[in-house]
Amino acid sequence: MGLLAPWFLAGALAVGVPLYLHLLRRHTSTPQQFSSLMFVEPRTQSSIRHRRLRYLALLTLRLLVLLLLVLAFANPYIKRATVSASGERLLVIAVDNSLSMRAGSRLDDAKREALSLLASRNPAQRAQVLAFGSQVQVMTQPVIDPAGLRNAVESIQPGDSRGSFGALAGAMRSIAQTVQTPIELHVFSDMQRTNMPPSFSEMAMPANVSLVLHPASKGAAANWTVESVNAPAQVWDPKKARVEAVVAGFDTAAATRTVSLVVNGKTLATKQANVPANGRASVEFDSLDVPYGFSRCAVKIDSADAMPADDQYMFSVRRSDPQRVLFVHESNDSRSPLYFGAALGSSAQSAFVMETVPGSQVQGTDPTKYAFVVISDSSLSEGAQNVLMRYVRAGGNLLIAAGTTMARLSTVPILGNAISGSHYYSRDGAGFASVSDTDTSYAPVGKADQWGGVKFYYAVAIDPTGAHVIAHLNDQTPLVLEKQIGEGRVVVFASGFDNLTNDLPLHPMFVPFVQETAGDLSGLQQREGMALVDSYMQLRTAKEQAVSVDVTDPEGKHPLSIQQAAKAQSIQLTEAGFYEVRLANGRQDMVGVNADRRESDLTPMADDVMSLWTGKSPNGQSATSGASSADDSAPEKTPYSIAWYVLLALAAVALAESVLASRYLGTQREEP
Amino acid sequence: MQRFLDPAVLNAISGLDLVAKTVVDGFVAGLHRSPDFGFSQEFAEYRAYTPGDDLRHVDWNVFARTERAYLKRYRGETNSLLTVLLDASNSMKYTSHAVTKMDYARFTAASLFYLAIKSQRDAAGLIVFDDEVRNYIRPSMRQGQLHRLLAGLELAEPHARTDFGKPLHHFQEFLRRRGLVVILSDFYEDPQTIIRTIEPLRFHGNEVVLFHVLDPKEIDPKMNEAVVLVDLETSTHMEVTPDYLNKDYRQKIDAHIQALRDGAKGAGMDYHLLMTNKPLDGVLSEYLTIRQGRD
Repeated sequence: MGLLAPWFLAGALAVGVPLYLHLLRRHTSTPQQFSSLMFVEPRTQSSIRHRRLRYLALLTLRLLVLLLLVLAFANPYIKRATVSASGERLLVIAVDNSLSMRAGSRLDDAKREALSLLASRNPAQRAQVLAFGSQVQVMTQPVIDPAGLRNAVESIQPGDSRGSFGALAGAMRSIAQTVQTPIELHVFSDMQRTNMPPSFSEMAMPANVSLVLHPASKGAAANWTVESVNAPAQVWDPKKARVEAVVAGFDTAAATRTVSLVVNGKTLATKQANVPANGRASVEFDSLDVPYGFSRCAVKIDSADAMPADDQYMFSVRRSDPQRVLFVHESNDSRSPLYFGAALGSSAQSAFVMETVPGSQVQGTDPTKYAFVVISDSSLSEGAQNVLMRYVRAGGNLLIAAGTTMARLSTVPILGNAISGSHYYSRDGAGFASVSDTDTSYAPVGKADQWGGVKFYYAVAIDPTGAHVIAHLNDQTPLVLEKQIGEGRVVVFASGFDNLTNDLPLHPMFVPFVQETAGDLSGLQQREGMALVDSYMQLRTAKEQAVSVDVTDPEGKHPLSIQQAAKAQSIQLTEAGFYEVRLANGRQDMVGVNADRRESDLTPMADDVMSLWTGKSPNGQSATSGASSADDSAPEKTPYSIAWYVLLALAAVALAESVLASRYLGTQREEP
Repeated sequence: MQRFLDPAVLNAISGLDLVAKTVVDGFVAGLHRSPDFGFSQEFAEYRAYTPGDDLRHVDWNVFARTERAYLKRYRGETNSLLTVLLDASNSMKYTSHAVTKMDYARFTAASLFYLAIKSQRDAAGLIVFDDEVRNYIRPSMRQGQLHRLLAGLELAEPHARTDFGKPLHHFQEFLRRRGLVVILSDFYEDPQTIIRTIEPLRFHGNEVVLFHVLDPKEIDPKMNEAVVLVDLETSTHMEVTPDYLNKDYRQKIDAHIQALRDGAKGAGMDYHLLMTNKPLDGVLSEYLTIRQGRD
């Protein structure tokens, strides 16, 4: 037994306090007058003895409280052998079931070797079976039952996740805390170098764990893989869609590989890729002719290697028609539709088709057929304003460019905010206006420095009451305003799109501004068509509670229970393949899930690293002299703190002291 | 009116005369409503005047009609003699509440004097004693007797210890006329000694009443822990256990009271236990009962 903080023993001097109270300050009780002691017999001896005994008991308890308190602070410990009395060791068998174990017969070999180890163990020895990839799966609790252990090993299935020795070490630390006996850990794995965590200390095992490695492969193995794919998740025009893929070879010689683009099981295109030795090559497909709706796409290679699981890279694509945008302009204004349409259609994946119409003809059109409506500095008839107001109140979105034509009006149409005038800025020198500040939470506008080169010569002064000002000019004139009207929104640009009132249409900033504003107003959301195994997919936003979702995994099963489907915020994608999801907002989605390509590099960790991990030198000797090996059954003594037990004893003694002291104080109250 | 007889209320009244008046008036008012007690103010007899009689008692109406002098006598005027023996030992200082045993005894004596002199027209006297006779006021019906007696009570402060044997012969000397003798004491003495000491008074034809004045805590001490007790008379310190006080002491004090009661009854004396937390009307009732029995 020892003390971890012996200097706290100085607190034992505090025992002088109760000694002073009990011995030096003698108890004095006030005698009580009585009319006559004629009928009273002295019982002095028994009474005093009883009281003295009680005082001694109280003194003892108080001394004990102080001494136990001091002892608890001193943190006492005992040396306890980590080996139990019977010398039992817990046998833990950890089998790697990450993606790389699908190569050849690695997993089967590992399971076979684990079964033979189980068969050779002492029948009375407890054993536990684990399977590990990116997470550790407990297949059994520590048991003796040989059949149960054997079934647990046999039931380990190959996974698609990435192996992690760090996760295994973390799990072993938890087990070591609950199991007091020494642990003999046998790891059956291909010992991939890429499974190591960034820091070696993360995979260090606890002191009472003896690690024995069983590498499932000797040396590196050649492996081909489709390392990455760059493909659109949404396609409006198949001819404009392009797919890029990177083919990689690990420990491979230079070769030409056939790369195929497969859509819904049919090969659309095939290309040859010349891959250098142990290198990479890119392949590009110029079109992605997919049918409307969701399509299951993949890029495949003819690898003919031992691990076909990483020979294809899956992604989903949704094809839909481009959304229509109504562009209202003055009949004599041909510049605005030119610039705005060019910016809207400049994207390779153009999601919008713009239709222009003069302001005088708006009343005859149905704006609900359009994703959003743009009014480019056009005067509108009262009927047209009514049509557009109903459209906005019902949920439609509107972009208004207020130029010189609207400056003649008293209020901005639809928006209703007053126009107090207009500002003319000089075209000469530095007299033009520029954007001084922006609200970065509104993505289409971006940061103010992105507008740095844009010169504004004219702006309409709009009263911002009730609207959210997103950008200001440097004279604090509101440039971009947003206002919610009914169910819809109106965004106002207090200048024109005509290259006359400003030079924004000629500036590179114009294209992302138009496209992102269009995406925002049309409600078009970015979707991802591919993801990695073990990543998470968001199922609902914070506002979309109590709405059930539905997830179908690659095997056609529904991994979420009814309760989870009603509450889960996200789901972890644990298998490679296509997941079909119905989100909480009602939209359908599909995502192609692929294994982490770091699993494709089958290079094992170096022997010296394995030796370092197991604590042995490469020749099999213990790395640290005097340290026990896995087969050494000599008991190791480790310090075990007993401060908690001391605290428990302290609580019990303190309780007894308070009971006795309260009775003593009760007498004191009665005596005066 | 009963509340005026509460010892705690009386203790707040300054002056024994006012205490006595409050007690007796309240008591008499209670009697008027009670069918159980008679009161001796009714007419008793006419007696022919003889020289030496007090002229104040001559019925002048009869004299006017008959020219003969008659004295009108009432039952209350059948004179008797009341002597109060008041124990003024230190033990009478004891109290567990507002009223000491000595105060209670003084209230009792004052009330008896008031009732005797004002209402019954009896002669009343006082002997204050502890281990010897400390004050003696001869029984008399003279003017101002009540004030002398009350003054004697005021001066009777507890002192020394009780000794019935020593002042005995003084009692014999003082009490030569027959009458009612009231002894107010806590009787911390052997019952046989007490009876043997007082018994001779009875032999002289006196009615003797023992009023045993005790504090409720003397009957039932109720202690939870061992305590040190100090004897008020001897200043002896003694540590006792609650077990003893709750069991043995109770048995002993009960046996003492019973022995005193039996001894008094055997000697033809009346015995009454007065608790200092109880009203005084019992004492006055007892006096009147004995007084009527003597008429």
